[in-house]
Amino acid sequence: MSNKNSVDPSVDQLLSIASKEGIETVWDRFEAMKPQCGFGELGICCRICWKGPCRIDPFGNGPQRGVCGADAHTIAARNLIRMLAAGAAAHSEHGRHVALTLLEVGEGHALAYQIKDEQKLKSIAEKLNLAPAGKDIKQVAKEVALASLEDFSRQKSSIPCNWAKETMTAERVDKLIDLGVMPHNIDAVVTQIMGRTHVGCDADAVNVLLGGLKGALADYTGMYLSTELSDVLFGTPEPVVTTANLGVLKEDAVNIAVHGHNPVLSEIVCDVALKMNEEAKKAGAKEGINIVGICCTGNEVMMRRGIPLATNYLSQELAIITGAVDAMVVDVQCIMPSLTGLAECFHTEVITTMQENKITGATHIEFHEDSAFDSAKKIVELAIDAFKRRDNAKVNIPDSKQTAIAGFSAEAIMAALSKVNAKDPLKPLIDNIVNGNIQGIALFAGCNNPQTIQDHNFMTIAKELAKNNVLMLATGCGAGAFAKNGLMTQEATEAYAGDSLKAVLTTIGKAAGLNGPLPLVLHMGSCVDNTRAVKVAVAIANKLGVDLDKLPLVASAPEAMAEKAVAIGTWAVALGLPTHIGIVPQIMGSSVVAEFLTEKAKDLLGGYFIVETDPKKAADKLFNAIKERRKGLGI
Amino acid sequence: MERAKENSFIYADPRKCLGCKNCELACAIAHADCDLQTAVTQGLQLQPRNSVVQVDDMVMPMQCRQCEDAPCALACPIGAIYQEDGLVKINEKNCVGCKVCVMVCPFGAITIRADKKEGGNSRTKKAKARKCDLCYSRIKDNKEKSCACIEACPTKAIMLIDLESYRNKLFKTRAKELAEAHTHK
Repeated sequence: MSNKNSVDPSVDQLLSIASKEGIETVWDRFEAMKPQCGFGELGICCRICWKGPCRIDPFGNGPQRGVCGADAHTIAARNLIRMLAAGAAAHSEHGRHVALTLLEVGEGHALAYQIKDEQKLKSIAEKLNLAPAGKDIKQVAKEVALASLEDFSRQKSSIPCNWAKETMTAERVDKLIDLGVMPHNIDAVVTQIMGRTHVGCDADAVNVLLGGLKGALADYTGMYLSTELSDVLFGTPEPVVTTANLGVLKEDAVNIAVHGHNPVLSEIVCDVALKMNEEAKKAGAKEGINIVGICCTGNEVMMRRGIPLATNYLSQELAIITGAVDAMVVDVQCIMPSLTGLAECFHTEVITTMQENKITGATHIEFHEDSAFDSAKKIVELAIDAFKRRDNAKVNIPDSKQTAIAGFSAEAIMAALSKVNAKDPLKPLIDNIVNGNIQGIALFAGCNNPQTIQDHNFMTIAKELAKNNVLMLATGCGAGAFAKNGLMTQEATEAYAGDSLKAVLTTIGKAAGLNGPLPLVLHMGSCVDNTRAVKVAVAIANKLGVDLDKLPLVASAPEAMAEKAVAIGTWAVALGLPTHIGIVPQIMGSSVVAEFLTEKAKDLLGGYFIVETDPKKAADKLFNAIKERRKGLGI
Repeated sequence: MERAKENSFIYADPRKCLGCKNCELACAIAHADCDLQTAVTQGLQLQPRNSVVQVDDMVMPMQCRQCEDAPCALACPIGAIYQEDGLVKINEKNCVGCKVCVMVCPFGAITIRADKKEGGNSRTKKAKARKCDLCYSRIKDNKEKSCACIEACPTKAIMLIDLESYRNKLFKTRAKELAEAHTHK
């Protein structure tokens, strides 16, 4: 079994237990699902009306149009942008939740929450042209929340979303407005995608895709405000040394895993758990309460609190198979519905918390901002009760545990750079890019996918790019992969970075007081936090006076899976980034859609998709894209 | 002397068939030596050797039944169709695409098509008779593989029938039932 499913050593260890006990995991279900439907794989199956389902024969022998007359191009384009709409909706619901929480705080409600970063709140207010000077901080919070919520409600389509317009280069804003893809209202754009893809509407594949670009930029808007407002409420991340992989679970503690995406819940669970440590000890847990993270909720609390990350998406079930997780508290997105069935084999309480995200078999403790403490207390009590039922004979905590340096928000990166040059923090970074010590910057994002060996693509591409002196940033389950497998360490920089990259990371790391280099890959947060990287990129672009599509920047989602990843990848292209995906997207049945995304987008936006399933070749292609950009800049 | 075995053949259970056509895709790919994404990206017009057919509310794939006294083999003027290795084979090199086999096949299981990559010209279309070959060349090199359509079927509606073991199974099941009926168990 070794190396077949994952490069993460704890996976093999726990899967052998699972197979011995007859416990089914995502890898078993993936095998059972094979062969996967070829028409679906190619994106040429249409199920949007009941005259169908229709499918186009990719070899030209059978039907070339659906019953309504839609061809492969219309069908593939419509399917793709519906995925984008779902991705945008997921991120933006998260953003709305955070914005509404900030509004509550501004209005003096939701007592569990405070404004933890007033400085950031003020700078956001400045950015949104709200003139915060002299205003009461709660008033500023309210105004920022309302200006953010305007991006969900504005009806005048000629006025762009605040969070889109104020966060890009001016040139990019103009370009996107000219193309008619700048969103004015996140909800309206998602609704428009659903409407224009209804049977008998938008049938021109390229026009459909332009609608998708707008949806992707709505996703960007929702993500951006989500991250920034979360920083206001929960603090802007700063570098923190912590640990990752399933070895972070403790035999003598009440282990609570927080899983999902939204910090509005997990932050309060952390607050309350700290206060209930004694109760856990009384229940027999010598080490009290041990909170660990899974997926992006894990990244959120890792970034802000240094809470260890247990695992990323694909191996979430294995956390339960350790037999040591007493409660798994979940909020939204990427939570496998299989968890509750697995938990039946153990003592683990799976606790759902959101009214619109329930799983059959879970204990549901509904979470509301105004009674956050009470819900969190109930959750921790359930965990302590479950701990008392834990069967020690079933406990198998893997040894795997890696140091992980996390917490690199855009602000933290700027702070580290300002230790090298206080007056002009970006100068050391830009100088090193210009002189070639840093060849370019790569942002890793996205999920895990059983179609490829877990974490393998991430690890392979990162090691290749490191050799070529590319500075690397990561978010989401990509960040999880690097954290679990030891690339967010100073040792990894020593081991894998090219000489000039190593020298730069060492200079900045030492200046920032890390007693050595920065880690090889900088953890920028959860998947909703990809806009942190945009913030750094836009600062560089503005400083150089060029647009993003001129910079030696690339993005990669080598193990992408979720609709959210489809949306993120598409806005990365819309912002001008060459964007790699390591999983073949479900669009290849249409030459028009494939060509638009991989070629025509380049003329239109500067960014384009690179599809490459071989991670070594992908690394070459990404590095070539960087070299092409350097050539364009004459550096 | 050992008695010659009947030819094995592909059988599909119409009660299990969903009509998804994945067996068609798999068949086309299996005879093209490339994967689906590559074939579609390169615009290869691949030809499956089976065909999912719907009649009233019944749907199932149709393909060659590897007849024991095959009309196609008897009718072929070139002698390009023959019995070998437990199936009916077509020697595509000799086939001239005259369509006699298509006309005499009781199941409509033979098509005459050119592989796009072979490319015709104004003198020849290079089309050949093609039909289910039980994935002969695919299985020959890899015993772990079964026929592509069987592997591709999500509901396991498609089977490779070995007549002797099929009949044995029927014998045993029915014999057991009869025996139980006679002994009033």
